[in-house]
Formats: sequence, structure tokens, C-alpha cells
Amino acid sequence: MKPPQNPTETRGKNKKIKRRTGDSKIALAFLLPTIILLAGLVLYPMIENIRISFFDVPLNPNLDEIFLGLKNYQTVLTDPDFYRSLGVTVLYTALTVVGSTVLGLGVAMLFNREFRFRKLSRSIIILSYVTPSISLVFAWQYMFNNTYGIINHWLVDVTGILDKAPLWFDNPASSFVLVTIFAIWRYFPYAFISFLAILQTMDETLYEAAEIDGANAWQKFVNITLPAIRPVLITIVTLRTIWTFYMFNDVYLLTKQVDVIGVYLYEQAFSQNDMGQAASISVILFVILFTVIYFSRRKVDVANET
Amino acid sequence: MKRKRKNMLSRTLFYVLLVLILVISLFPFFIMLMTSLKPTNEAISYNPTILPEVVTLQHYQDVFNPALFPFLTYFKNSMIVSFLAAFISVFIGIFGAYAMSKLNFKFKSTMNSAFYTVYMFSGILLVVPLFKIISSLGLYNTRTSIIIVMIVQTLPTSIFMLKSYFDTIPKSIEEAAMIDGLTRVQIIFYITIPLAISGIASVFVYAFMVAWNDYLFASIFVSSSGYFTLTVGLNSLFATPDYVWGRMMAASLLTALPVVIMYALSERFIKKNLVEGGVKG
Repeated sequence: MKPPQNPTETRGKNKKIKRRTGDSKIALAFLLPTIILLAGLVLYPMIENIRISFFDVPLNPNLDEIFLGLKNYQTVLTDPDFYRSLGVTVLYTALTVVGSTVLGLGVAMLFNREFRFRKLSRSIIILSYVTPSISLVFAWQYMFNNTYGIINHWLVDVTGILDKAPLWFDNPASSFVLVTIFAIWRYFPYAFISFLAILQTMDETLYEAAEIDGANAWQKFVNITLPAIRPVLITIVTLRTIWTFYMFNDVYLLTKQVDVIGVYLYEQAFSQNDMGQAASISVILFVILFTVIYFSRRKVDVANET
Repeated sequence: MKRKRKNMLSRTLFYVLLVLILVISLFPFFIMLMTSLKPTNEAISYNPTILPEVVTLQHYQDVFNPALFPFLTYFKNSMIVSFLAAFISVFIGIFGAYAMSKLNFKFKSTMNSAFYTVYMFSGILLVVPLFKIISSLGLYNTRTSIIIVMIVQTLPTSIFMLKSYFDTIPKSIEEAAMIDGLTRVQIIFYITIPLAISGIASVFVYAFMVAWNDYLFASIFVSSSGYFTLTVGLNSLFATPDYVWGRMMAASLLTALPVVIMYALSERFIKKNLVEGGVKG
């Protein structure tokens, strides 16, 4: 986000200082509730999280915490499950981000023209994005049910694409496929809305000029469309990557077979009841997140992206 | 002639692709609706039907029967949590966003970075310490715990969105009001809020949707089913004898309805999709 222009800059120096301090007080007052909430429930937990990561923390708050030093980190970093989970997460993120972005762009380009029921169609596409996960998850669990789901019925009995019905919820590999398709289906509308908004601001004459020059569809896409949508593309990919990497809700509700990093952390904390170890996983993930935020900061413009 | 044929072809291709994508988008919703109208034996038949052979409204009656299904309790909890979280998030956010949009102060860029960082943050990274903090505050197993955490989760995005709406309000209007002797707080209530009301409504919808959709925090902060929200409650019924597909589908549709209606209404009132793309989800 760009720093706003300071309107007082051109005025006299005394006036500027006076105005600034006056604003600072009232700004602080206006931001105080926000600052208190973020300090108390984001900053403090972050620090507390680092502290917990050095302890063995019993669920019962009356029992003493035992200092373990770096033992939690050692356990996590030598746990093959942690690396497997990290690998699954990276693959899930890569497929989801690429899939939802490409599909979103494709559909946005399809919509970038006048046709009847355009508004209605747009609303239908956004539906999966605005519906709560829990509702969608039930529909998908039913559709992909091993024995009486319509998808397996079509894949095996009707079309014969597959010989054997995949057990979508009981096998880690097919569960992974399911979770990924679900994420692409659910999140492509986000890319679609953003791309459509920018495509509609584009100058049609650029394409007409290119057509006169004899450019084909692909050349037009690479030379005109892509440069124009670049900032939006970068923003979408960055944000979607981060949000997918830490995805918990959608994966956990759909199947217990795919332990992406969010699910792995949750299970360590609340199924294994090993808070200390879960905290150390969080700290490791913090480091990854901050590295990404640091490198993406200048490129992503949160408020002005459409 | 050749051009005309090419046009026909590309038009046909366009409509084929359009119908395909619409079917893919809509299919699970269609299945949800159809299954909610089918009797149970038809819903679990090995030969799945698309349209119900027998239409029944039994599942909808069951969903609203408290003796059979605690749907109304969950629905009420979700409503309380989401409404209060969204309302407070927007209220606090209005003042924060006003400061970020209209005031000059020293630590502005620091605040901006802080919001930005939290905006990218995922709740999952803070579950462990937040669980401990909520427990030590004595808020474990209360709706308040979920409300507080949902306010914090939505606040940075609320402020970003509100700020971008406030930025469109010309400074001259405010300057005139200040000459008339209005204080900053009066300006917010008499000028900023009325002028940005449709934007504020869309921020409310955003925050409401986040809270309505939350499973993570609701599942760890609340243990008695009397306080369950829809996500936790419905998920807890999975694989129990109460798990009747038609009933779950009816419940799913009814769970989706409030947010879909709210979203549709907020879309209607907003002419430009100003911040839509920046909404976290």
C-alpha cells in the first residue's frame, strides 16, 4: 500500500507540527481498541507461542509445565510425518493455486463480453466461494460416497472410465485428489472476480490494433492481456498461496486422510494433546510465513488490487 | 460467408463452455437440494437418481423438530456469534479505518504493516496460545470466546476494506463540516458512515461470513453441544445414527441460506466491486 500524500507538507513548518500532533492524539484514540485487541490476541499469543514451544504443557492448567529446552523442535524436525505433511501441503498448495488461478482467468476471459444472463451467470459462479464450507462438504461427501455416490456411479457404472470405484475418503491418495479438486472448485471464483474486474477496464482498441497486425489469439494473450493483468495475477497468487498453505477448515471437514500442515498442527495440539510440540510447529511455520511476507510486501497491493 | 461461419462456431463454443462451467459450479448445490427432497431409501440407493422419484418435505420438518435434531440451537448460536462478531468488528473498524484514511500521524506506516501482517496470518498458527489464553481468562466453553477471536480475525481486513471506501469520500466535505464546528466523532457519525453505508454493509457481510464459516476456533473453545455453532454441531453429527443424508442436506442448505442472501443483497447495493478481490477467504 502506498503511503498517502501528506497534505500539510506544503504549508508552514509550525503549522505542520501542530496539525500532526493534534492528529496523532485523536488517531491513537480511534485506533486504541484495535491496538489493544491485536496486541492482546495476536502479538501476545505470538510471544506466548514461542515460550510454550520450549515446554511440555499439560492440558490441565493446574499441573506444572516442564521446561524442555529445544526438545520439542528436535522432535518435530526429526519426525518423518512432519516432512511428509510439509510435502503434502506444498503439493496441495501448488496444485490449488495454479488450478484455481488458471481456471479463474479462463472463465474471466470467457465472461469478458456481452451476453444474456451474464449477471446471473456471474452470481452462480461466485456461489461456491460464498457458501460456508460445512454445507459444501456435506454435498461433496454425498456425491463422492464410495458406495452410493453419483460420481463413482458415473465413473464406473455409466461411463466405465474407471474399472474400480476409488475410495475417496478412505485412501490418502484419492482423498488428496478429492481435497485438491474441492479447493480449486471452491476458490477459482476469487480469481475469476479479480481478473474479470481488471479485464473490463482494458482498452478494446489494443486488441483491434493487434488483429490488424495479424496477431493470433495466443500472441494477443501474451502481449496484451498478460502484461495488463500482471499486478492482479501476482497478488492473487501470493495471497492464495499463503491461505492455501495454512488451510485447515476445508481439508479437515472433508476427510481425515489428508494431513496438510494445518491439520497436522491441530491434531498434535488437540488429539495428541501435545501443546508444546504444536507450538514449536507454529514457530517453524511463523518463520516460513514471515519470510514469504517479507519478500512479497512490496509486490502485493492489498486494497487496490482490483 | 466464411467469417460468418467462424462466428457461428466461436459462438457455439462459447455457449458450450459457459454451460459447462455453470453446471460444474452449480452441480453440488443441485445435488444438495434434490437429496434433501428424497426419501432416505432413495438417497442411499445403489442406482443414484438425479431427480427424486418421490418428493418429500419430511427432512425439512425433521430439521426444525428440536426433539430430533438440534439444528435451531446451532443456528441460534451461529447467529449470535456471527452477528456480534461482525457488528463489533465493523464498529471498531470504522474508527480505525477513519484514522488510517483521514488522519496524519507518526506511526501510521507501522500500523499499516501490522495490519498487513495480521491480514495474511492464518488462525491456525495461533490456536495453541489462544486456547491457553481463553482458558486462563475463564472463557472456555462460552460463546464470548468465539466472538472475541472472530473480531480479531476479521478486524484487519475490515479496516482495509473500510479504509478503501473512506478514501473515496472527498476531503472538502469534511473540511466544510469542521468549519461548521463538528468534531471528528460527529463527522464519523454524520458524514462518513452515511456516505459509506453500502461499503460498511459489505464489510459487515464479510465479517459475518468469516464467523459463520469458522470451524477451527469454535471446535476447540466450546465443548458442550448447547453452545455449538452450525459448523461444529453439524460436523459432530457426522457418522452418528442421526446422520440421515436428506436431513443433513436440508440442514446444509439452511446453513448456506443466510450468508448467500446477505451476499446477494450486499452485491446489489454496491455499484463497484471495489474491494471484493481483497477479501480474505
